[in-house]
Amino acid sequence: MSKDFQGRLEQIDANRWRIPKDSRPDMRVDGIIYASAELIDDARSGGGLEQVANVATLPGIVRASLAMPDIHWGYGFCIGGVAATDVESGGIVSPGGVGYDINCGVRLLRSELPVDEVQPRLKSLVNQLFRDTPVGVGVGGPFEFSAKELKRLTAAGARYLLGRGLATQEDIETTESNGCLEGADPEVVSDEALKRGGDQCGTLGAGNHFVEIQVIDEIYDEPAADAMGLKRGFMAVMIHSGSRGLGHQVCQDAIKALRSAVQQYGIQLPDRQLVCAPVDSPQGRQYLGAMRAAANYAWCNRQLLAAQIRQTLERFFGQSSEALGLRQVYDVAHNIAKIETHTVEGRPRKLCVHRKGATRAFPPGHPELPEIYRATGQPVIIPGSMGTASYVLLGTQTAMEQTFGSTCHGAGRVLSRQAAIQKARGRRIDEELARQGIHARARGRTGLAEEQPAAYKDIDAVVQCVAAAGLSKKVARCRPLCVIKG
Amino acid sequence: MSKHCKTFDHTADVGLEARADTLAELYEALAEGMAELICTRSSVVPAETRTLAVAAEDREALAVDFLAEVLGLVETERLMVASVKVRMSGETALTATVRCEAYNPGRHEIRTEVKAVTYHMLSVVEEGGHWTGTVVLDL
Repeated sequence: MSKDFQGRLEQIDANRWRIPKDSRPDMRVDGIIYASAELIDDARSGGGLEQVANVATLPGIVRASLAMPDIHWGYGFCIGGVAATDVESGGIVSPGGVGYDINCGVRLLRSELPVDEVQPRLKSLVNQLFRDTPVGVGVGGPFEFSAKELKRLTAAGARYLLGRGLATQEDIETTESNGCLEGADPEVVSDEALKRGGDQCGTLGAGNHFVEIQVIDEIYDEPAADAMGLKRGFMAVMIHSGSRGLGHQVCQDAIKALRSAVQQYGIQLPDRQLVCAPVDSPQGRQYLGAMRAAANYAWCNRQLLAAQIRQTLERFFGQSSEALGLRQVYDVAHNIAKIETHTVEGRPRKLCVHRKGATRAFPPGHPELPEIYRATGQPVIIPGSMGTASYVLLGTQTAMEQTFGSTCHGAGRVLSRQAAIQKARGRRIDEELARQGIHARARGRTGLAEEQPAAYKDIDAVVQCVAAAGLSKKVARCRPLCVIKG
Repeated sequence: MSKHCKTFDHTADVGLEARADTLAELYEALAEGMAELICTRSSVVPAETRTLAVAAEDREALAVDFLAEVLGLVETERLMVASVKVRMSGETALTATVRCEAYNPGRHEIRTEVKAVTYHMLSVVEEGGHWTGTVVLDL
């Protein structure tokens, strides 16, 4: 589907564009899109801008309907969409503002291993990781949880894995929200969702989820990199995954349940995929309870993936994690809704902040940050597409003031899966990557083709835009060496 | 043939476009189209039967809820679908008999993981004596 935006779009400055609220009678606030001149052209087609305007109609929305420069079409909200609603003024919560893959996110581990020691063994390393990491469609993992255990896990989040040798206190403290959204209600998670999640915690999945072995190849901010333990020329590990089938089922169940809420609360919607309810309503509370449970599941998923990868690396290099210096930098969510306090029109307000393909980016001094990052600001992990760089950024005060402390999440898709597969016909994507020094393994026949770099926007341009707009500061760039995908 | 279903490209996901002579056959075509995406139906022996009863507020919501129930059989019971037979009760409720088989990794190749049934581009319409329907699936 390609549909050029027909509405009014005004340029605010070099990195921001506005859809004025008076361009449609149902818009309550402006739409504001962060994009360079180069990126806005992509955004004009594909339907993302229309979705920014649609989100601007939601009850209780404050300041603006926002989109980050990796904007592309999604279900309800665009990917890259951020919107906050005032809880105390009937503001809504919408599953379309979180996404089906609740708490899809990224985790970064750094190491004391110089890349020169890894380079000669990359092919063996990628094969070992591919053997050991549960990856791909229909592939279950070594951890199986009963419904009763899942209820405890989804209530406690990553803390559930402490004391079982599967998580450390440092892992918890360097995870957004300490790996647990309080207020999760496992009792409102359906049996179907629990069944789907039973053997998937600790599995990577497919699509654009991946594990990468990377090298830190550029440092832009030495003190911040130092605080994170990032050193040029050293190995890092990045994990991109989410809440698997459990999260998808929670979203599917919630959208079905909220269909009647829209009528009950007299909410007019331009898109059925934006079904919602006031945060302060039985239906809103039910969705938030289930969404938090799914988010907690996702943090456990990434924690278990990290535990398995640590074990693989320990065996492969014949050293303990401690000797390898393998420590977590941070873990961020990029599909989530949270109740946060932000200053709007000069006063603090309790808001439901939706980040759909957008990452929290809190500034220095924010009380929610762990002590080690209080002075620098929150690390923001931005995964590139397969074969391209990833970035580590920092949150800023500008983000806090303009975007409810939010920034981009990745590159954003420009080619459909089919188009990418066709573009790959007659080519060996794995060999092309190998020529760039990247060893890739994928479980499915079309995984590498679907996820080739040409299928995504230019990550460098996306990151450059958020940096130029002041939403984030660049700390480091990570180049992939090994990639495993479903 | 009174029913058929084809897929269409959609950003990161896939759409189903079905056409049939009757509404019941349309829902059958959509369900079988989704099943075919997941696992080639000809590789599935119809050894087991599941019955689904689904009702919704309109035809479009029924399509989503019905496909979600079929997806539930795949995802929670690990059943691969061979065929689907639908009987309508009005235009917003149906009963479906799903012929299926327990997943056998030796014979069943999972081609695509369908994660959810969405409301995007959702349509179920009658025109010119035929029914057409469109559903986009989240992969």
